[in-house]
Amino acid sequence: MHPSDGTLRRSLDEPVAVDATSRAHLATCARCAARVQGMSADAAAVQAMLVSPDPAVDVAMSRARLAGSEAETVGTTASQRPARRIWPSTTRAGRVMAGVAVAAAASVVLVATGTAQDFLSIFQPSQVAAVPVTAADVRSLAGLASYGSVTGGSTINFQPEPDAAAAAAAAGLGIPVVAALPARTPAAPTYAIVSGGMVTFRFDATLARAAAARAGGQLPAMPAGLDGSTLSVSIQPALVVSYGVDPATLLQGVGSVPSGPAFILVATRTPTVTSTGVTARQLEDYLLSVPGIPAEVASEIRAVGNPAVTIPVPIPIDLASGSSVSINGARGLLIGDSTGLGSAVVWQHNGVVDAIAGTLTAGEVVAVARSTH
Amino acid sequence: MRPTSFDRLFAEEYARVAAIARRVLGDPAAAEDVAQEVFLDLHRRFGDNPGAKAPAWARTAAAHTALNMIRSNRRRAGREERYAIEPSLAHDPQAEVEAAETGRAVRAALARIPRRQATVLALRYSGLSYAEMASALGIGVNAVGTRLRRAEARLRKEVGDASV
Repeated sequence: MHPSDGTLRRSLDEPVAVDATSRAHLATCARCAARVQGMSADAAAVQAMLVSPDPAVDVAMSRARLAGSEAETVGTTASQRPARRIWPSTTRAGRVMAGVAVAAAASVVLVATGTAQDFLSIFQPSQVAAVPVTAADVRSLAGLASYGSVTGGSTINFQPEPDAAAAAAAAGLGIPVVAALPARTPAAPTYAIVSGGMVTFRFDATLARAAAARAGGQLPAMPAGLDGSTLSVSIQPALVVSYGVDPATLLQGVGSVPSGPAFILVATRTPTVTSTGVTARQLEDYLLSVPGIPAEVASEIRAVGNPAVTIPVPIPIDLASGSSVSINGARGLLIGDSTGLGSAVVWQHNGVVDAIAGTLTAGEVVAVARSTH
Repeated sequence: MRPTSFDRLFAEEYARVAAIARRVLGDPAAAEDVAQEVFLDLHRRFGDNPGAKAPAWARTAAAHTALNMIRSNRRRAGREERYAIEPSLAHDPQAEVEAAETGRAVRAALARIPRRQATVLALRYSGLSYAEMASALGIGVNAVGTRLRRAEARLRKEVGDASV
């Protein structure tokens, strides 16, 4: 009997570990010799791809660096813990989140579907994926707003609720329960509702031509029906559960910033996206091809896959980073402010979008998300 | 202060963990960032006495964390180019460009292939034995060979012979 692929592969790296019977077989079997030759060629090619010198590591210095990181996150009591600020509008971190917000708004413009053939398409994306962008990229994406008019969504209607039951009734959702709060987080949350609404982007050829001219280029040929086409996002009421922070501080930039670990949990039904005039896929393709949109960003947004399923969320790469994370079987997006000041995670399950954000480390925010039911 | 078990583990494993991340990322600075993240997480999970399974955990975590990094495009191409070029190529602009393109193609392919295949490649090409890989991956030694064989064939196919 011929040895398995696994045995043959090991014979290349650790020949003495292969049993005597297999070695004897290999010495006489032309077929297995050919298999080993193919494996050897693949291994050599991969070796060439992955070869790089090991990093020159100073273990003592690296250990000291780790000790510094630990002291920042876990080494002090609540009263000693340095204040970690995340989103006040005047700080660098505030600009991070403002950038994310602008980019996310721009991404709504780019949401598309490839499934609908008619003039009307509706879908509910079920995943989010990070698209890294620079600050300049964010400005380019935000500039797409000048290709048409945006109506709705200009104000946030924020309504405190007295207790969990009232909040649940107002949002039409069950109250999410966090089973494992991070140490030193206040155990009693407060509740609020953010109203829903409809945000509509209407493509306007005249505005678009003027914007393209300002960007130093001309618009590509427009598909029939593009002028006047719309993309609408219907946002449902959101339930906000706050631990240790006034949610108005985060959402409206007012009030005092927490000095200890604090976070908010937001839950809302998945937004519904509607397009008219052209399919949203056509609208996305067109907007990604207009002057001023960096080719790399366009390519990365297209690479996200079918946006009917996955919404691309641009993440400013120089200030924050995004990575895929699993939350109780659902695929989520973990956003870490690269300054180490705060983290957020967004995931979807059973038609509900959940988000947790706060002055937590990435590990803490994921642990909270995984303990939420 | 007496060194803890964690301190000893750090001294013994830190360079290896950074090397595993380096295979995936091609960038020594990013690899060190990953090693820091792995040991920070390890200490928080297991404390000062991490136990016998901790080295295997750290090695796998290094590969996974580095793969997460390239999959989410947390790094930008320019940084990779700055570090990935070998010194011998530094004065040959054409070679620099080709090396950077190959590096990008390899990272992109590692991000595309199944995670467990990319992980076994990172472990093998940072020098782990089959027994060590089996321990890190929680599979049998024979299964390591099979997985490695498939991973190599897949990566080579993804990258394409022409660019290597």
